Amino acid sequence: MEKILTKKALPQWLIKLNAYQIYAPVKKENHWSYEALDKPESIRLDHLNTIQSPKMIIFPQREVFFEFHNAEGNTLVMKEPASESSATVIFGVRPCDAAGVTHQDKVFDGHFKDLYYWKRRNQTILVGLACNTPPSPHCFCLSVGGSPHSTAGFDILMTELEDSYYVESFSKKGDTLISLAGDIFSTPKENDKKDKEKAHSDSEKKLKRHIKDLETVPPKLKDMFDSPLWEEESLSCIQCGICTYLCPTCHCFDINDEKDSSSPLSGKRVRTWDNCQFPDFTMHSSGHNPRPDRASRLRQRIMHKFNYFVTNYKAYQCTGCGRCIDKCPVGIDIIEVLEKVRDYGK
Amino acid sequence: MENNHYIPKVARIINIKNEVEGARAIKTFRTQFAGDDGFTHACGQSAMLSVLGKGESMISISSSPIEAEYLQFSVLKTGRVTSALHEMKVGDMIGIRGPYGNGFPIDKWTGKNLIFIGGGIGLAPIWSVLQTALGKKSDYGNLTLIYGSRTSKDLVFKEELRGIKQEMAVHLSVDNEEDRWEEYVGFVPNNLLDKNPSPENAVAITCGPPIMIKFVIKNLQDLGFKDDQIYTTVENKMKCGIGICGRCNIGPHYVCKDGPIYSWAELKKLPQEY
Repeated sequence: MEKILTKKALPQWLIKLNAYQIYAPVKKENHWSYEALDKPESIRLDHLNTIQSPKMIIFPQREVFFEFHNAEGNTLVMKEPASESSATVIFGVRPCDAAGVTHQDKVFDGHFKDLYYWKRRNQTILVGLACNTPPSPHCFCLSVGGSPHSTAGFDILMTELEDSYYVESFSKKGDTLISLAGDIFSTPKENDKKDKEKAHSDSEKKLKRHIKDLETVPPKLKDMFDSPLWEEESLSCIQCGICTYLCPTCHCFDINDEKDSSSPLSGKRVRTWDNCQFPDFTMHSSGHNPRPDRASRLRQRIMHKFNYFVTNYKAYQCTGCGRCIDKCPVGIDIIEVLEKVRDYGK
Repeated sequence: MENNHYIPKVARIINIKNEVEGARAIKTFRTQFAGDDGFTHACGQSAMLSVLGKGESMISISSSPIEAEYLQFSVLKTGRVTSALHEMKVGDMIGIRGPYGNGFPIDKWTGKNLIFIGGGIGLAPIWSVLQTALGKKSDYGNLTLIYGSRTSKDLVFKEELRGIKQEMAVHLSVDNEEDRWEEYVGFVPNNLLDKNPSPENAVAITCGPPIMIKFVIKNLQDLGFKDDQIYTTVENKMKCGIGICGRCNIGPHYVCKDGPIYSWAELKKLPQEY
C-alpha cells in the first residue's frame, strides 16, 4: 500500500492510533531518545540518530523472567510476571535500526525460541523514516548490506518529501495502521513517486563513510585469530562497553537472581544486557578466563560480527548505524579496524 | 503453549553423597522432579541447576538415561551457586532446566571398544555414558576406564569404581606415592601410555582438566588413535544454555547447544582459546 500524508496531518494520524502504545524520538538536552509519546502533537521526525536504538523497547535492558518464593511444605513457586506489553508502534525508526531488529529476530528464533522476546516483538509495529540525510557523520549502512531507505524489518517506511511523507506499507499490520486514519491519506501522484525515488537515490550519495571490499573480511578473519592486530587495536580500550550496549544488533545478556527476602525466600530472576568487553563475561568459576585481555575481547567483538555471525546467519551483525564510533570515548573506529583487517599483510 | 525455556522445573534432592572433602569438595546429588513435567536426557547432556536466590550453574548429568527415576549431578564446590548447593540437605528443593547440549554419539559406537579416560570431577560426564555402555554390554566390545586424581581422596565414585571392576577393566592412578596405594602412580596421560590400549575398532572418550585433556589427546595420537576416534567435552561459562546469551562460544559454535561433546576432528578446526 502506498499513500501520501501531509506533514500537518501526522499528529492526526497518531491520535487515531490511541489504542497503541506509541514510541517516538524525543529531543533531550543534547541527544535524541525513544520515549513513550504522550502528546501526539509533540511528534517530531527531524531527529538525528537516537542514542539508543529501538532495541531497548523490544529487548529491554532489564526484564524479570519470573518471581520466586518458598511456599508452605518446602515447595518452590516460580511465576512469570503478568504481561505488561501491549500493541506498540515505534515511529521514526531508521533503516539501520530496523535491520538491527531483523538480526535480533534471527538470534532469538533459533533452535530454542525466546518467548520473552517474541511476546514483545510480535506486538511491535515498526514505522520507519528514510534517511534523506545521514543522521550521523559515521553512518555506513551501504557498506554492510543496508541503505538509507532500506525496507528490511519495516511494516511501514515513510520518506520525507517537501510538505508531505510518502508512506509505504509492507505488511498487514502496516495496512491496518493506515486504514485507521484512512481519510487523511491521499493517493500518491506520479510526481510524488518520482520525488521519493530522487530522495532515495540522493540520500545514498550523501553517506560519507564506506568500507570497500568488506566481503573480503569474513574469509580473512578466519585466519586472523592469532594476529597481533587485536593487541594493537585494543590498546586504547578502557572496557566501558558502550560499543556493544548501544549496538542495535548486540544481544548478549546475563541472568541473575535478585533476592527480596532470605527468610522466607522470595525474589526475582532477572535478565540484563551483558557485554563481551567485560572481563567477567567469560570468566570460569575456576578463575580461568578464555578471554583474559582487551585484545581477545576486541577480537571477539569483530569476529562475532564479521565472521561467526556470517557463518551462522549469512549476514554481517552490523547495520552501519555508527553509534559505536560516535560514542567510543577513546576513538576506536570499527570501520578503521575492518580496513586494517582487510589490508592486513598486504 | 510453547515452552518457556528459562523457567526451571522444581526438583527434590533425594540423596546426597560426599565424594571428596576439603577446599575442593565434591558432592553427588540425586534429584527427582516434584511434578510430572520432568525431562529425560541423553548421555553427556547437562542441565541448569537453580538455587533460587543465588542463581544457576550448568552441571553435567552423571546418571545414565537408563536410570530414569532420578537425575544425578556431581558438583565441585567452586562458586556462589555450587557452594549453596553444598549447603543443601535431602528434601530441599532446587530448580532444574534442560537437558542441554548434544550428548555423546553412542549410536555410532555399537560394536566398538570404548576407552574412558578421566581426571578428577571429569569422571562425572563420562559416568553417564559408561553406565549406559555397562547396561547394554553386549552392544559394545571391551570397556576400559583409565581414571586418576591428585590424591586417592580426590577420586569420585570410589565405591562405584570398586563395583564396576567386576565388569570392566578399571585402571586408577594418583599423582604422587601414597601409603597403601597399589595402582599406578603418575599423571593420567602417562597411565594411558602405560596401559597402551589398541586403537583398533576403538573410541576414546576423555574428560578432565584442560591440561590433562591436552596430553591425553597427544598420547592417544601417539598410540595411533585417529582424530575421529577421540571424543572430549568442552567447558565454558554459560547463562542461557540455549545459544543466545553469547558467552560460551568457540568460534561460531555455542558450547551449550552445539557442544559440549566434540570429536577431536571437529574441535581441532576451532580456535584453541576462545
